[in-house]
Amino acid sequence: MKKIKLLLYTTILFSALISCKKQLDVKNPNQPTPESARNEVGIISLAQGGIYRNGFISLKYSDGIYGFFWSGAIGFHEMMGDAIQAEAANGFINQIGAPDKAILDNGSTVLNPNSPNTQIALLRLINVNANQGANTLYYEWAYMYSLVNAANSVMEITEQTVFTSDAETKKSTLKAWAKYWKGFAYSRIGSIYYAGLITDTSTVTNGNYVTKEAIIAESNKNLDEAATLLSSISNVAAYTDILGKIIPSFNQVGKGGVLAPDMWKRSINTLKARNILVNTPVATMSPAQWAGILALTNDGIRATDKVFTGRSNATSDFLSAASGTVASKVQANAAGGNTYKLSERLVQEFKTGDKRFTNNIKQTTTWIGSADRGHVFNTRYTLVSGGTGLAGVKVYTNVTPGEEELFLAGNYEENELMKAEALINTNKINEGLAFVDAVRTYQGAGLSAVSGTGLSPALAKEELRRERRVAFPFIGLSFYDARRLGIINPLSQGGGRKGAVVIAGSGAVNTNATIEYNYLDYWDVPDNELAYNPPGAGSAIVKNPK
Amino acid sequence: MAAQTGKVTGTVNDSKAGNPLPGVTVKVPGGKATMTGPDGKFSIESKTSDVTIEFSFVGYTSKKQKLTVGEPATINLDYDSKSLSEVVVTGVGVATSRKKLGISVESVTADKLPAAPTASVDQALIGKIPGAQISSTNGSPGARTNILLRGINTINRGTSPMIMLDGLEVRATDINGLDLNTVERIEVVQGAAAATIYGAQGANGVIQLFSKKGKMGKISIDVSSSVSTNSIINSGNVSKANMHPFTTNAAGEVIGSTGKLIELDPALSMYKENVQVNLVDTNTFSNKPYDKNLQYYDHYDQFLKDAYTTNNSIAISGAREKIDFNFSVSDNRQTSNFDNNGNFSRSNLMSNLGIELVKGLKFRSTTQLVYTKNTLNDATGRGVFFALNNSRPFADYNYKMPDGTYGYYFGDATGVNGYNPNYRNSYSTNLDNKIDIVQSFNLNYKPVKFVELDAKYGLNYQTQDATYDVLPQDINANAAFNKRFWSGNYYSTTDVGKTGSIDNFRYRTTFQNFLGTATFMTDFQNDFNLNIPIKTTTQVAFDYRENVFKQYITYGGDAPQYTPYTASQMVNYRIQSDYTEPFVTYGYLLNHRFEFGDIGGISGGFRSDYSSAFGGGSKPFTFPRGDAYIRLSAINFWKESKLGNVIPEFKLRAAYGEAGIQPKSFDRYVVLNTVNLGNSIAFTYPTNSPNPDLNVEISKELEIGTDFSIKALNGKWLSSINISATYWDRKTANAIYNVDAAPSTGLGTVRDNAFGLASTGFQASLNSTLLSSKNLTWSFTTNYSKQSSKITSVLGGTPIVVLSNAGSSNYTLRAGEKIGQLYGYLLLHDVNQLDNSGNSYIPKDQQANYTLASNGYVVEKATKQPYVTSGKYSFGDPNPKFNMSFINDLSFKSYLNFSMQWDWIYGSHLYNQTKQWMYRDGIHSDYTIPIDIDGTTGAYTAFYRGVYAQREANGTKDYFYEDASFLRLRNISLAFDFAKFFTIPGFQRLQLVLSGRNLITVTDYTGFDPEISSGTNNSAFDRGVDHNTIPNLKTYQIGLNIGL
Repeated sequence: MKKIKLLLYTTILFSALISCKKQLDVKNPNQPTPESARNEVGIISLAQGGIYRNGFISLKYSDGIYGFFWSGAIGFHEMMGDAIQAEAANGFINQIGAPDKAILDNGSTVLNPNSPNTQIALLRLINVNANQGANTLYYEWAYMYSLVNAANSVMEITEQTVFTSDAETKKSTLKAWAKYWKGFAYSRIGSIYYAGLITDTSTVTNGNYVTKEAIIAESNKNLDEAATLLSSISNVAAYTDILGKIIPSFNQVGKGGVLAPDMWKRSINTLKARNILVNTPVATMSPAQWAGILALTNDGIRATDKVFTGRSNATSDFLSAASGTVASKVQANAAGGNTYKLSERLVQEFKTGDKRFTNNIKQTTTWIGSADRGHVFNTRYTLVSGGTGLAGVKVYTNVTPGEEELFLAGNYEENELMKAEALINTNKINEGLAFVDAVRTYQGAGLSAVSGTGLSPALAKEELRRERRVAFPFIGLSFYDARRLGIINPLSQGGGRKGAVVIAGSGAVNTNATIEYNYLDYWDVPDNELAYNPPGAGSAIVKNPK
Repeated sequence: MAAQTGKVTGTVNDSKAGNPLPGVTVKVPGGKATMTGPDGKFSIESKTSDVTIEFSFVGYTSKKQKLTVGEPATINLDYDSKSLSEVVVTGVGVATSRKKLGISVESVTADKLPAAPTASVDQALIGKIPGAQISSTNGSPGARTNILLRGINTINRGTSPMIMLDGLEVRATDINGLDLNTVERIEVVQGAAAATIYGAQGANGVIQLFSKKGKMGKISIDVSSSVSTNSIINSGNVSKANMHPFTTNAAGEVIGSTGKLIELDPALSMYKENVQVNLVDTNTFSNKPYDKNLQYYDHYDQFLKDAYTTNNSIAISGAREKIDFNFSVSDNRQTSNFDNNGNFSRSNLMSNLGIELVKGLKFRSTTQLVYTKNTLNDATGRGVFFALNNSRPFADYNYKMPDGTYGYYFGDATGVNGYNPNYRNSYSTNLDNKIDIVQSFNLNYKPVKFVELDAKYGLNYQTQDATYDVLPQDINANAAFNKRFWSGNYYSTTDVGKTGSIDNFRYRTTFQNFLGTATFMTDFQNDFNLNIPIKTTTQVAFDYRENVFKQYITYGGDAPQYTPYTASQMVNYRIQSDYTEPFVTYGYLLNHRFEFGDIGGISGGFRSDYSSAFGGGSKPFTFPRGDAYIRLSAINFWKESKLGNVIPEFKLRAAYGEAGIQPKSFDRYVVLNTVNLGNSIAFTYPTNSPNPDLNVEISKELEIGTDFSIKALNGKWLSSINISATYWDRKTANAIYNVDAAPSTGLGTVRDNAFGLASTGFQASLNSTLLSSKNLTWSFTTNYSKQSSKITSVLGGTPIVVLSNAGSSNYTLRAGEKIGQLYGYLLLHDVNQLDNSGNSYIPKDQQANYTLASNGYVVEKATKQPYVTSGKYSFGDPNPKFNMSFINDLSFKSYLNFSMQWDWIYGSHLYNQTKQWMYRDGIHSDYTIPIDIDGTTGAYTAFYRGVYAQREANGTKDYFYEDASFLRLRNISLAFDFAKFFTIPGFQRLQLVLSGRNLITVTDYTGFDPEISSGTNNSAFDRGVDHNTIPNLKTYQIGLNIGL
């Protein structure tokens, strides 16, 4: 009896030991491994998620107040471009768009009430690694390098993937996709940071920082390579099939859809034109640059072209309907009722009778924020979600899932207004203004034509400036314009803005105020990068000397 | 007198409880020995008619008694919980007398644990375990405590110790779910030196609970009931400013920028215009009363109320010759201190059944079923508290719109971070049901006297189903106007026509533990007839643990307008999460122990473990342990000297152990994430990357200690003092944490063996009987704990910055510094204050612009704002320098008991983030405190707003970093037993207990409660921030205990 029991115990013990080893092999049963991306279906899935999610949504830091790339990082541009303002302090958003001073109609000066009370000092104070996700400068850099990494990974895996058929076309399509988004990412990086990095291998970086000019050159290089790949496409059906699977179905609506290779190449040209335009002050643009822009935009996005867009859906897979875009964070029933406040300086750009104003902007009880947080953010206006119903007139925002169309990288209007600007600046005033009129017509503005009205070059440029402001606000171009037009420069250097509308803390409406923004033109490289990847010997300067 | 030989017989009982004691050694000096049976009875041959017999039993004071053949006797043994003869099993594997321990094991018996209103074990343990820091960090019903035993040994896994119940790990069920009423005693081993025998999971220490068993004698029925009333502690007298700084008209009425009065739009429950205020204007003062168009509402009065707790339990227990049983049922119900915030209840069913199947083969089954129901709408309370603390006091949140509904957001005028909790409570409900099964089987077999075989199998299962239901709010005028709707966790409500959602959560944890142990015992004298007083014990064990966690979360959004409805009737529906996390570990333990008589002992062994975190082909990790002790007091020179009279017990001990802390289940498995993008599934790279090269964290500990007793005075007073003290030192290499990757790599963070950690500490306890007279016994215990942990190295040398889970406060993990330090800006107390390098913070040429204000802060004369340094500096270690508790127990005769426990936490700090938020919109009452700046006095809002906003709005500043030391009357209780006083037939006990918990708090901390912490539960570093966490409760309780 005793022996039997002993034997029993021993058996239990040893059988347990032997059976265990196999059980250790649990793996992670919830998710695919990188191996899963190494086939045709897998690489398409990665090409989709890598761009739409890694590129614009997934970061180690985030903040719901300003949200992801298209409402946050892009929102910062719109704040510095004075299209919107904010009172919340998350990520210092009430401060990055707070000008140094506002001189009111009565001559009194209101200084930035924040501490520090200049934007440049703020950007220098907050760009420290210890600030983590509160460092405003971190986001665009991190999103765009996350995008570059995903694109590099798509390139690498595409090379290793065995395709079932039409391998060359499929590879070219995927590689064009990766190159194009790298071109986009470098365009954003080079247009806001003083220096950048060029990385061509996934998850690997280097300490060789290069100038912003070199980054823009890298953007153009990638865009050109994408165009070359697109030119090589022979099997359009296979191309269309792949691209149709990469672009999420909810984005294939309206202007969004599967771009034919030629349309895509025209999108590339528009983006390349942007690279030139936004990174040179207007005052110092050379004839060659204007000619370059004209050449590119002449073969740029057409009114009927499909372009890269983003839309929300009910489950906020890419954009949240309520807050995924800058514009959606402005709309409210009452002025100031949402996180982003519609700037009086944007509203004043609308010409009298512009149906886009009537269709989108509503005046309510004036919103007055806490005077200790900002001095130019008070506003009488808000955006109307879905518009007021004027047929054929542009609608800026719509919080119904799927309704708002966000242009990710250039559209017809931007192309035409760049064309217009190149013409006006090369003394083809009327030809240029005709494109301004065309854009207004395209957006249903209902304004009378300005072409042929004998506008002086200065007035023509002002007409163009205002049109750029209202034709495509909220998508990340506002700051570029403020910078290249010198508006962000000190008053003493001819910068600032005169004749501005500013609502004082008392509620008084000033219509002839002067604002001195004095913002940093290009941001320093974020310290989270520098802390873990210090500049190597021979690197470009990573901090703007201003 | 003729010698008469024969049998002496009798029964051995517990002197206090009266139950028979089985297993008591009954020995004729120099002769035979036997043991009492299950009924406490014994029978032993005697060569004389009278014989003095020695009775000894672990945990009881030994006794000699003269017995006579043929006259059955009753022997009463005194249980001595505090004596060194107490027996412990945790950390040693084999039941061992405390006198013969080479490690420190803390223990506490159930009668010393207060009946905390939560009826939870962790709450009851606070202050009871020397060396441990157990803190009640949130006063919400069901909230867990923070438990820190010895140091921060791992960042990845936090400080949670392993919880064991009767020899098996309980992993699925939290310690606060187990029934305090069923616990007989608790043992705690804190260090790796002892916990190594439990494998990697024991590296943070082990808390072992022992269930009550039925005892021989009459079947006993115990009934207890209590009811308590609880109110939140506000030891810092936190309140909102009763004066305001808003722009007013000539009549003193608050006006907006239009010149109109600030008035609530009754149809929308909205202030459509903002108040006018510039807090940084030097002419703004919080000095106007709320007596015109705006009134002051005390939001704490409106929303905080007394909560009630009831506890009821019944236990039936007993034992017969081969069977013992204990069945009990307990029920705990708690209401929330927040108005309409729901309830929390827990019911426990327990059965403990022991059977001797055949001689030497015992079977035991213990079962605990726990049902927890939680309807708390805001489970931690922090959401509601934040909303209240960030609302200006003129918002009347009890206002209802004409249709009877509440408004959600009253407009920016009332503070942009405030909202009406009544709205949340009227549109959302939470139902969280949890069932726990804690089942264990134990088969114990002693085939021969030198072998013991033991097999244990435990199944610990938890199933939790929760539903968070948000009603449609489309018709709420306020919400529709503001486009702010209360939404669930996943479905973001966009607009009217899209509101309402149901979140369904299902969690399952199945934990199985098999433990097979063979113990071989030899006694050289008795077994081998060698004249060497050596006993050996060899323990060989196989330990298998498997944990499977499953999570399934779905949500439906856009609810219908009719009722009732379910998630299936929503317009949108999605499976948010479908996740399984298996984890398997198993290993072998070999531990060998020698004892040299009563004088000393030594033990050593190793444990080797496999882990599924390393996959199928992995090698085991093996770690050694060892301990030794010497009892000088058992050596003749000591025994026979005067020393032996004064210090009858003196032991030195030392132990060393290593433990491998395994990575988490999937830390090493590289994966792609998946995400739905419309109708396709996309792959993405995770932002926090696993690392296939990750290794185990290795924790090594050395402890040195002593246990001794002093015979102080001969007489009633101070008859004995027992002291235990332990110094320990431990180090962890390869501690795992997420390390930042440069953003240009495209990665967020990478898990790595990034840290070296080191901790030291000292713990001591003193137990004494201050007075022992015929009628009155007064015992006094004090427990002491001091520990400190620091980071010795960080991979790559660059500090790792982590944000408090609680909000905006930065922690920095930096080599050479204490773990958990906050970094931030400093405010100055001297215009010429110097920094660490001896330079003035304020350049000399600017110092004339600054002055020292009457509140001790340097302010700028022109702006009235404080000077804030441009750099960030460490504020120091927020963890306590030491914590102590003082426990008094007095009993008068058999019927009156009084006990009192004071806890003293010294040198701890809290970042008062709650206050900082209340500074944002001028809400905190500090705003009304006038300050003298440069000769003028006023309640300058510029100063207070400046504290919040200078340099960085809501930036971490030492102004809010406060000393949170406190002395707290943790427990006080007076119990009167009518059954003992009147001798009521049939009643063993009829005891009325009046008690109080947390009645007095002495502290300088200006927040609600210095004990709370808002960080992640049991976080390694996030322990020093108070961010709108619910304070602990001040409780008055009345209870009745009936024993039949």
